[in-house]
Amino acid sequence: MRLFKATSINFLGARNVWYLVSTLVIAAGLTSLLIRGIDFGIDFRGGSEMIVRFQQKVDIAQIRTALGEVGLGRSEIKTFGIEQDILIRVSEDINAAQTSTQIKEALKVGFAANPFEVLQEQRIGPKIGKELRTSATYAIVWSLVAIMAYIGIRFQFIYGIGALLSLAHDVLVTLGILSILNSLDLGFSVEITQEVVAAFLTIIGVSVNDTVVVFDRIRETLKIHRALPLQEAMNKSVNEMLGRTIITNGTIFVVLLVLLLFGGEVIRGFAFTLAIGQIAGTYSSIYIASAVVLDTEKLKLSKKPKKS
Amino acid sequence: MKNQLTRVFLIIAAVILALYFLWPTYKDYSFRQQLGALSGQDSITFVDQNLDAMTEAKLKRLKLGLDLQGGMRVVLEVDLIQLLDDLAKNKDENFKTIVRDVRTQVATTELAVIPLFVRQFQDRGIRLSRYYLSIRDDDARITAYLEDEAEKAIDRAIEIVRNRVDQYRVSEPNIQKQGGRRIIVELPGVKDESEVRQLLQGTAKLEFKLLKDPQIAYRVMESIDKFLTGITDVDTTGGKKPAAVATQQKPTSALSELMGESAPATTDTTAEAKFVREHPFFAYVRPDQRGSGEGYVLEKDRERVVRLLERPEVQRLLPPDFQFAWSAKAQQMGEDGSKYFLLYPVRQTAELTGGVVTDAQASVDPEDNRPIVNMEMNTEGSRDWARITGANINKRIAIMLDNAIFSAPVVQNKITGGRSRITGMESPNEARLLEIVLKAGALPAPVAIIEQRSVGPSLGEDSVRSGMNAAMWALLITIFFMLLYYNTAGFVADIALAFNMLFILGVLAGFQATLTLPGIAGMVLTIGMAVDANVLINERIREELAGGKTLRAAIDAGYDKAFTAIFDSNVTTFLTGIILFQFGTGPIQGFALTLMIGIAATMFSAVVITRVVFNAATDKGITPNFG
Repeated sequence: MRLFKATSINFLGARNVWYLVSTLVIAAGLTSLLIRGIDFGIDFRGGSEMIVRFQQKVDIAQIRTALGEVGLGRSEIKTFGIEQDILIRVSEDINAAQTSTQIKEALKVGFAANPFEVLQEQRIGPKIGKELRTSATYAIVWSLVAIMAYIGIRFQFIYGIGALLSLAHDVLVTLGILSILNSLDLGFSVEITQEVVAAFLTIIGVSVNDTVVVFDRIRETLKIHRALPLQEAMNKSVNEMLGRTIITNGTIFVVLLVLLLFGGEVIRGFAFTLAIGQIAGTYSSIYIASAVVLDTEKLKLSKKPKKS
Repeated sequence: MKNQLTRVFLIIAAVILALYFLWPTYKDYSFRQQLGALSGQDSITFVDQNLDAMTEAKLKRLKLGLDLQGGMRVVLEVDLIQLLDDLAKNKDENFKTIVRDVRTQVATTELAVIPLFVRQFQDRGIRLSRYYLSIRDDDARITAYLEDEAEKAIDRAIEIVRNRVDQYRVSEPNIQKQGGRRIIVELPGVKDESEVRQLLQGTAKLEFKLLKDPQIAYRVMESIDKFLTGITDVDTTGGKKPAAVATQQKPTSALSELMGESAPATTDTTAEAKFVREHPFFAYVRPDQRGSGEGYVLEKDRERVVRLLERPEVQRLLPPDFQFAWSAKAQQMGEDGSKYFLLYPVRQTAELTGGVVTDAQASVDPEDNRPIVNMEMNTEGSRDWARITGANINKRIAIMLDNAIFSAPVVQNKITGGRSRITGMESPNEARLLEIVLKAGALPAPVAIIEQRSVGPSLGEDSVRSGMNAAMWALLITIFFMLLYYNTAGFVADIALAFNMLFILGVLAGFQATLTLPGIAGMVLTIGMAVDANVLINERIREELAGGKTLRAAIDAGYDKAFTAIFDSNVTTFLTGIILFQFGTGPIQGFALTLMIGIAATMFSAVVITRVVFNAATDKGITPNFG
């Protein structure tokens, strides 16, 4: 079976349009990020979080009343996946040791006829949260640098820059889209937890995989057709790899969709982030990575004649 | 073909190794299946017969992470500042200020404690030898000494935590050091967090302290009370002083510490308000009516009184070798059932410390059925204990654990034989925990719980089920799609994928790694990514075939030319895997690990295994179809 006949789309010819599209998406995302701030999860914020499963459906307002009895009425309360599962979060931990007992006692009293079970409990000190934020930033920056260096060595320095920009693009687009979706309040939000940071690093890993495959083809095309202008060589390579790009990324995307649908509530944010990043990554390896290399090379060429 | 032989050999070796590593996991599973079918006496005989094999299998099987099997993970931080404080001698105001400064700085930054501490002294031009070691030692030597002590304290803390956890009887606990002063404790299957808190956090510093004379205690409380009203010089002014002047002298900050918002307005003329104005301290700390020397403090007022007593101007009012110590528990008293903490006046120096305790046993008092812990002391301790009790008959001795008083019994007679008991626990379980911490010994410095995560067993089961579900569907869809799109070549890629899964699990088991939920997600993602190598190769072979090459030549060219792309793209993904492993904790590391193993396994199975199959097929004259 073949889905793609030999194509000859002028991908790079339209690059200015795509630059604009990417810039707009990133700008929208950054605006949302600036307004909302980053939606950090418990790992990064610190505080206490508890997920309980009731035997029957419960009303959030009722839980709030029950918790209000022990002065925790201002906690964040929401359902976690199904309606019986409730997530309760207290951000400050003045007397963390008692908070969880207080919550449990209050729920026992408030829902005597509807017993519950504690599914998960987390308590993170403020220091840990701060440290994690630093190390997450470092992890993302270092992986970008490491990838840039590797590609710079294996290909040319400028290709490293192209990859770096396209990866930074993926991270920013994904972060922005998550923030926009969160602000739309669709009843489903993704907070930045450790798992989501892992998803970001994975996006970097998967997207660079794609970019490298295209670069590899460009390298080969340039070796065979020495006279071919860079833009044509790039277009030819991207077209030749189009079948592979779509098949592979399609498979990965389907797999991520499976993870999103069947993987359970705990890794939903992770799978969702990955899925968005996957789309951004596929797009960027076609439109951003090569385009950056092309424009830089063109800039160099246009400068040279002036000097001579 | 020589290459072909080498490849076949490599594949067989890899498969054997993977099966070897996975064998204990299978054995463990089958043992549990068999055991599940048996009941009563049969199961006991079965365990007796297979004990060694079962333990062996359990030890080497592929372990499930806490997020999948349920359990608790706690990160402890050793309080090095307290250790530095404890080690110091001749502590003065300067020293105390520095300790306070360092504590606030460390609370918000990630700086290493000891260098920060040392720098504080150097900045102020104070020699460390004033507080540590002897006067002849220079700062460098003392810094090294402090670093060494800290190192020893952390190692000792880990050892004690391990002792306690072992006695608490958790199967397969994991205790490890993280960074400079942290300890990670993982307890599979444990649910009760308050128990774990008691088990891990208490330093278990046991002390026996004599109570101060009630008369002295009352006079100290009285002086604090007077200090708070501001009429310290009541005798010299003969009580004729106008009220306005007295108000000016009031230590307002100390007062507001005690009363906060609840201070009665000056216009309030009720008897109650008048009493609070005239006797602020006694309004919060009610002295025992029978004159035993203790004060009673309402549960809700405890924090305020603690802070008041910590203030330097209040500390100055205390006579030498005098200390207020709190009861461990609030007790229900009075008609309205409100709970009170007891404030005991004790001597600052301990008569005897817990180092002499050799054994502890939780039990029940036969007289009133209350939980107790009996302790036994070594010879030296017994001798001291006999001397102390002998010399203090009819006086009270407080039994303090971690600076809280459990009980303060009156010494009836001289106790020989080194026996003592602790009472005042709320439940037999608490007594059992106390037994454990006393047996395991005291921690060299307090530890704080800075992170705690627990997953209940049912969420773990949910996660395993949904993770496995996702993996199965991902695998099925991918296999089916490859077959459809690449025909025979797709089938070959599917075989490689199956081997790939075997290798990932084998390597995980071989590394003694744990399988976490993100780890399963990593496997699912690997399923998607693994086909990439074969897609690259197959697309390339199609191109070469279209270019007019023979099948054999096209296959060779396809593998050769696709290799650089496969290699470079996988190396870069691997790089992020390494960084992710460095960044993450627990479950995330599980994800990074499966991702990295997945990449390595993919490279092997996609490049080597499929090649062998194609070569074998073309040698036999079978024409693989590339769709």
